[in-house]
Parts: sequence; structure tokens; C-alpha cells
Amino acid sequence: MSTDLETPLPTKFDVSDFDPRARRARSIRRLLLGTIALVAVLGLPWWVYPPIAVDIAAWALFAISVDLLLGFVGALSFGHAAFWGVSAYSAGLIAQNFGLPFPVAIVGGAIAAMIIAVPIGYLAVRRSGIYFAMVTLAFAQMIWFVANQWKDVTGGENGLQGVPKSFFGIELIETEAFYFYYVVVILIVAGAWLAWRIVNSPFGRVLVAIRDNSARTRALGYDVEKYKLIAFVLSAGIAGVAGGVFAISHGFVSLQELDWTTSGKVVLMTVLGGMGTLWGGPVGAAVIVLLEDRLATSGFDGIGIITGSIFILCVLLFRRGIWGTAKNLIDRARAGYAKRRS
Amino acid sequence: MTTTRSGLVTVTGFAASALMLAGCAGGPPPAPESDLSNDKVVIGLLNDQSGVYKDLSGPNSKVAIEMAIEDYLAEYGDQAVVTEDQIEIVMADTQNKPDVANTQAQQMYDRSNADVILDVPASSAALAVAEVANQKKKLHINISAATTELTGAACNPYTFHWAYNTQMLAKGAAGVVEDGGETWSLVYPDYAFGQDMVKSFTAAVEDAGGTVNEAIATPFPNDNFSTFITRAASTDPDVIGTMAAGGDLINFVKQFNQSGVRDQAQLAVGLMFITDIHSLGVDEFSGTTFTDAWYWNYDEQNREFADRFLDLTDTRPSFAHAANYSAAYQYLDAIQRAGTDDADAIIEELEGLKVDDVFLRNGEIRAGDHSVVHDSYVAKVKDAADVEEDWDYEEITATIPAEDAFPDVNPNCSM
Repeated sequence: MSTDLETPLPTKFDVSDFDPRARRARSIRRLLLGTIALVAVLGLPWWVYPPIAVDIAAWALFAISVDLLLGFVGALSFGHAAFWGVSAYSAGLIAQNFGLPFPVAIVGGAIAAMIIAVPIGYLAVRRSGIYFAMVTLAFAQMIWFVANQWKDVTGGENGLQGVPKSFFGIELIETEAFYFYYVVVILIVAGAWLAWRIVNSPFGRVLVAIRDNSARTRALGYDVEKYKLIAFVLSAGIAGVAGGVFAISHGFVSLQELDWTTSGKVVLMTVLGGMGTLWGGPVGAAVIVLLEDRLATSGFDGIGIITGSIFILCVLLFRRGIWGTAKNLIDRARAGYAKRRS
Repeated sequence: MTTTRSGLVTVTGFAASALMLAGCAGGPPPAPESDLSNDKVVIGLLNDQSGVYKDLSGPNSKVAIEMAIEDYLAEYGDQAVVTEDQIEIVMADTQNKPDVANTQAQQMYDRSNADVILDVPASSAALAVAEVANQKKKLHINISAATTELTGAACNPYTFHWAYNTQMLAKGAAGVVEDGGETWSLVYPDYAFGQDMVKSFTAAVEDAGGTVNEAIATPFPNDNFSTFITRAASTDPDVIGTMAAGGDLINFVKQFNQSGVRDQAQLAVGLMFITDIHSLGVDEFSGTTFTDAWYWNYDEQNREFADRFLDLTDTRPSFAHAANYSAAYQYLDAIQRAGTDDADAIIEELEGLKVDDVFLRNGEIRAGDHSVVHDSYVAKVKDAADVEEDWDYEEITATIPAEDAFPDVNPNCSM
């Protein structure tokens, strides 16, 4: 079967593409959103405690990687902690044993995550819906058990301690989380950009087609499994970058990284932020990480109750998530405005 | 962040005499020069405030630390280097997750200017905090984590391990062997803690002349132990030792009692807190032996402490509460002697120090691996009929001298 990656599927016909005024309005809007995003990314460690800022960045990219599958392939991976965790352990071990600068360790971790994603993905993409979620969960649990038992390498329950943050001997970056943030955020933004590129490429269109009607896409001559597998592995790589950043930032890796609750948390973030939007994930990540941080010092002992209630409220009231709802409101306002003008 | 100024009972006598002396010219020598960072001492309490370890330490440890501050101020009066207004306690919840513990510890040191972080249950969380302490060159005194790693391969100059460890927990087994419990079967959860415990228990039993028939691994966490209990009983041991802890221990003990194995073999528990006995009921545990680091009703001194604690919290203290008290008190005492809260100066004060307080009996803060050694106890859970009051659950059958409970400086530790 020959698949032509260069042939985009027909997209929704949009009048605004031909209206110069609407196109200008759109580019202004994009510029505005871009500026807000840039300010948010650069300003984050000024507003929140820098190690928390790094956490938000890592979870944000992790949520983006899940959204890539959930929102654009329609596959809910309930085992993404496997890639986050495998990368965290690999990055930690690389940094510890070879003393390489941490970006190399993080990229190494991401590659390890992609390698492990190939066999898992190969089996998982043959199923969809709940079965896909269960297969990914099962593999993630398997990896959890391996990490738990392989004490000599992973440290078992105690985890991997003393992961260094070496960066060409620049002490400011190695010791100060504030400066460290600005280095890792480059990796995070690169990962987010990659996800954005994937979604907005002809390849991404095929993924959306698979999500909407996989039988029809197959009938059109696309190798559905291959597309899904590539998306799965790319998503694992992006999750891997996030996991590597998280491990290096904390200076240790624990079994928590591979725990199923980690998979659950990132799905929560994605849904809370708005799935299928890509940028909802970071919003959800920021909300959850900041909330957990506040609650940890509040003396209130029902952290699960709060995050759980938010999730329920979100699912009941804002199906599209925070970002999705906001985007929808803006779109509606715009439509109303355009109507009044005409 | 809940930053609570230690709103303690001021020693009224102290206040009164200070007022009186304010008018006099001479009076006692002025308080010794002190050199405190940020002009105050901040004690961070980082533990489980919402999960399975909440009862055994949790928020009540703050009360214990407040008691230590009160006692310190009363002891030194106007000679105290740190005044009441200069002591602050900050508290945070680790949720027993190492990454949360790690971030919270960083925040405590950086933002709340904590000079020391106390407690931190769950070994993985403890190791994560020890790592931060080493990086920031601030103190961490661990109380409720069990791992010997803290004073082993992961040891560092800024971390002390105050109360107990997996090796010490196994020492009580020797006493059981001497009482006739010669053959053992061990059931352990298959993760780092369980594996360490089995190693320590096997060594302790064999050193005392007993034999371990078999060690059976169970999944962790686990709900159904019945097959493992049956298998453990099949070799007809005198003692069945379980290394399960927390919720798993509760399940194990319930199923052990229901299975009827209780009539054939004695139960020994690796790690148990008095709060576990309290929550499941003394009936379920009666006859069980375990190693305890401290027991509230052991002697008059402990009882006095426990009575004060009871007034403030409505519960009796676990050994973790007493250890938090002890660590906070000895820390303040070291500041008193050093005249500063500088971490390196405090370490110098603490290293090699011989201590006797309500928690530490024949205590010594070992310089080699920063393990705090002290007398420990072999405890047996009383029969329900012998319980005279609430929380009166344990009978101390033997004391394990400090040098036996914590025998050697950990060879894996290099500072």
C-alpha cells in the first residue's frame, strides 16, 4: 500500500481564508496569543517558586504528549507514565554514570522512551477505546514491576538518588533553579513545537481522520496502524523529554514516576485543560501543580477530594476543559461580531 | 503556607522576672551573643498529613515540637539564645510522594528559611529530602523513615537519622528466639523495605541460634494474604514474622487471626506503631511481639511526657512523636551551646554527643554515619483483659542496649 504523506486530506472550508480583513484579524489574534504564551513561559519563574515552575513546564509537555494521542488520534493512553518514567530513569542513569551535561541525558532518556514505545505501541494500536487504555496500562504496570524489582539499577522502592545537574560547569545553572528553568524550557518548548508541527502537518490531518473514522481512512488507502504507531512513538518521545526534565530537576527518580497514578494525573490535566487543543494541557498542568503545591502546605488533608471535585465539575460543566471553553467563548463572540457587521 | 508562630504558653514566671529585672541596672549577665540566620530559628515539619502515616506522626508531631520549644525556653529562661518570638514552625504535607517531598523541602529551605527539617516518613521521600539537605547544606533530622540507606550509601553530613531503622527493628527477634521461638517463617512485601527487613530478620534470628524455614514474598500492596499465611504455617514454625506495614499489616493480621494459624504459631511483626494497635484493637494483636523504639508507659519520665501530650492532643504519643520532641529539643540545645543556627556549627555540636532525654536512653549521636543510637525495647501486645487504660497496650519484655540495637557504623557510608 502506498501512502502519500504529502497529500493533505481536504479540510473544512473556511471563508475567512479568502477574506483579507478576516485574515488580518486572525494574524493579529495569533500574534496576541503568541505574545501571551511567550510572556507566560518566560515570566513563570518570576511568579512562582522556580522548582515549581520547572514542574509545571515538565507536566505541561507531558500533558501535550497525551493530548497528541487523546485529542488527535482519539486514543486514551492510560500508561503514559511508562515513557515519562523510563525516560526519567534513563536520563538519571546517564547523568549519574557518564557525567554528561543534562540536556544530553534528557535527550537520551527520550530516545529510551521511544525505543520502549515501539513494541508497546505495536501491540496497543491494534486496539482502540477502552482496550487501548487497558493494554497501555498493563505495559506501564509491567515496567513498574521491573523497576521495583531491579534494585541494583533503579534502587527499587528507594529510587535513584543523587542525579547531578551538570551543565558545562556553569554553576549558576547547576545550582539555581531559576536559571535552570531557562535552559530546560528550551527543551520543553522544542517538544511543544514538535507536537504542534505534528498536529498541523499532513500527517496530523491523517491522524485526525483516523480519529474521526478509521475504517474510512483505511478505505482511502492509509495504513492506519502505521500512522497510529508513529504518533504513539512520537508522543512517547515528547513524554520522555518531559520525564527527563522532571528527573534532572528533582535530582532523583522514584517509582512514583512509573506509578499508574502518574498516568492518571496527566490524563486529568489534559482533560481539565481541554483535550484536542494541545495548549489546554499546559493550562491544566499549571492548575493541578499549583493547586497541589498550595494544598500541601495548607494543612488541609483532602487533596484528592479537591482535585477530584474539580475534575467532576469540569467534566459536568465544561466538557471542553478550561482552554477549550475559553476558546469556544472567544469563537462565539467573534461569530456574533462578524454577524453584526454583515 | 501555614506559618505558625509558636503560640505557646509563656512561662509566666519568666515574663514576670524579666519585667522586674528591666528596672534594675545590674541583674544577671545578658543573654549570650547569638548569631541566627534571618534572626530566627525555623523548624520545618515535613510529613504525612493526609495519608496512611498521619496518625503515627502527622500533625501531632507539631505538638511534640512545640513541647520541645516550651521545655527549651523553660530550661534556659532568659539565658536562651533563641527567644520565643524567634522560633517558628512551618509544616507541609509530603503525601508520601518523593517528588512532592523533594519540592516541599526545597521550598522550606529556600522560602521559609527553614534551618532544619524534621520527620519525613516513607523511605523514598526521606531519601529525596536528604538529597535536598545535602545540596542546600541545611539540616535534616529524619525520624519516621526506616531505611538504613539514610545512614548508608545515601548518607551525608547534613542528615541525621534519629529514631529507628530496619536493622534495629530486627533485633527484637533475638529475644523471641531466646524465649523458645526457634523456628521462623517470614512473610514480606516484595519491595525495598520488605527485602531489607527480611535480610535483617534472618541475620538476627540466626545470630540468636534460631532458624528461618523460609521467607515468602508477597506482592505490595496486597489485600489477600491467606495463601501466604497457609504456606508460612506449612513448615510448622514457632513464629511467623510479617514485614507488612501500615494498611497491609492490618489486613495481614486480620487474616492471620481468622485462619486459625494463631493457635499454632506466634506472630512477630517487623514494624508496628502503637497507633496500629489502637486502630485495629488490642484483641487482634494480643501476644504479638515487635521491637519498639519507645513506649509511653515504660517509666515515670515517659508517662509524664505522655500525660502532657494527652492533654494537648487527646491521644498518647507514638515513638515518632517522642522522637520529634527529642530531635527538636536537642537541636535547640545545640544552638544554645553553639550560639548560632549555622548548620555546620550545629553538626559539630551534635556529632558524637551523648544524650539522655525522654526519648533517647543511653543515646549517642554517632559521628561516623549520623545514626542516633539508643536503647530499644522488645514489646509484647497485652491481652485485652490486662489493659488497664486506653493505649495501655504494650508490655516491655526486654531492653535492647543501644550498642546491640544499633551495632556498627554503616560500612557503606562515607561522608
